[in-house]
Amino acid sequence: MFRLSPLFVLCLFFSIDVFARPISYPGGITLMQMNDTNKNSIHLHYSQTAKVSLGYKFEYWREKDFSINALQINNLLKRWNKKNSQANLYLKSAIGSACSDKGKLDKKVNFSGFIGLSTDWEDQVYFIEYENRYTKASKIHNFFKQSMRFGWAPYKGDYGDLHTWIMFRFEHMTNSNQTFNFTPHIRFFKDVHLLEIGANLKGKINLNYIFRY
Amino acid sequence: MKKILIILILFSANKLSFAVDQSSTIYAHVNGLVCDFCARALEKTIGKQESVNSIEVNLTNKIITINLNLGKTLDDYTITQLIEDSGYSIRKIIRE
Repeated sequence: MFRLSPLFVLCLFFSIDVFARPISYPGGITLMQMNDTNKNSIHLHYSQTAKVSLGYKFEYWREKDFSINALQINNLLKRWNKKNSQANLYLKSAIGSACSDKGKLDKKVNFSGFIGLSTDWEDQVYFIEYENRYTKASKIHNFFKQSMRFGWAPYKGDYGDLHTWIMFRFEHMTNSNQTFNFTPHIRFFKDVHLLEIGANLKGKINLNYIFRY
Repeated sequence: MKKILIILILFSANKLSFAVDQSSTIYAHVNGLVCDFCARALEKTIGKQESVNSIEVNLTNKIITINLNLGKTLDDYTITQLIEDSGYSIRKIIRE
């Protein structure tokens, strides 16, 4: 009998944002539960190569009360591999439909899509990331969003150890009641599991989970 | 008696060569190896090669240890290609 893991169920109900690398190894499958103070989302993708992944993306934007179902493509534009660090530049784009549940837009379905760049650098102690994205959902909602994230690991672990990161995320979003957002959180990373727990300054609980197979 | 000795010598040499193959280990120094997902990528990509018996990833030293199957080989070009296909780059390869 099929049973949902309690962790997965928790991930569906709580929210945060997480951006681990959106492309895996050739043949790899990744489930990313990504949320922030504005939305809940699920992204399931398959990596054909280490430079491109293709997947399904679902997002539910709480404030504007609309959802997006889309086909998302992630491209690794450039990777810099150094002895003790790695940096990346990604292009993320999606195409699909948006469906509103709000007021006079109730049940309205529009074409939707988004495009954005993401760049990150990390060694095993420090992490820095910038991401932006323009989202178009025609008459339902259009906005631009960008974020920066800093992370610090208090200790270095080896493969299979529990890795812990303390992280801070700053976000800016247009056409929103909450234009700026600051979210401190903790990342736990072990083997193929990545979990992030935090809360923004208004006390909204954040929780993310990524599983890579 | 001479024939028996020759057979014994050949047999011993054969055994010895098996022992060398059995302990055939490759150390690949990899750039960009910074997290468990990176380690997993290399483990999966290289580990599925027919010639590979086991693979160990050391995040601290950025070295992957490839233990080969009995009598099997894996050339430097293939190792480099596998690591690059996984999204990483090779610094050096040492054989034991």
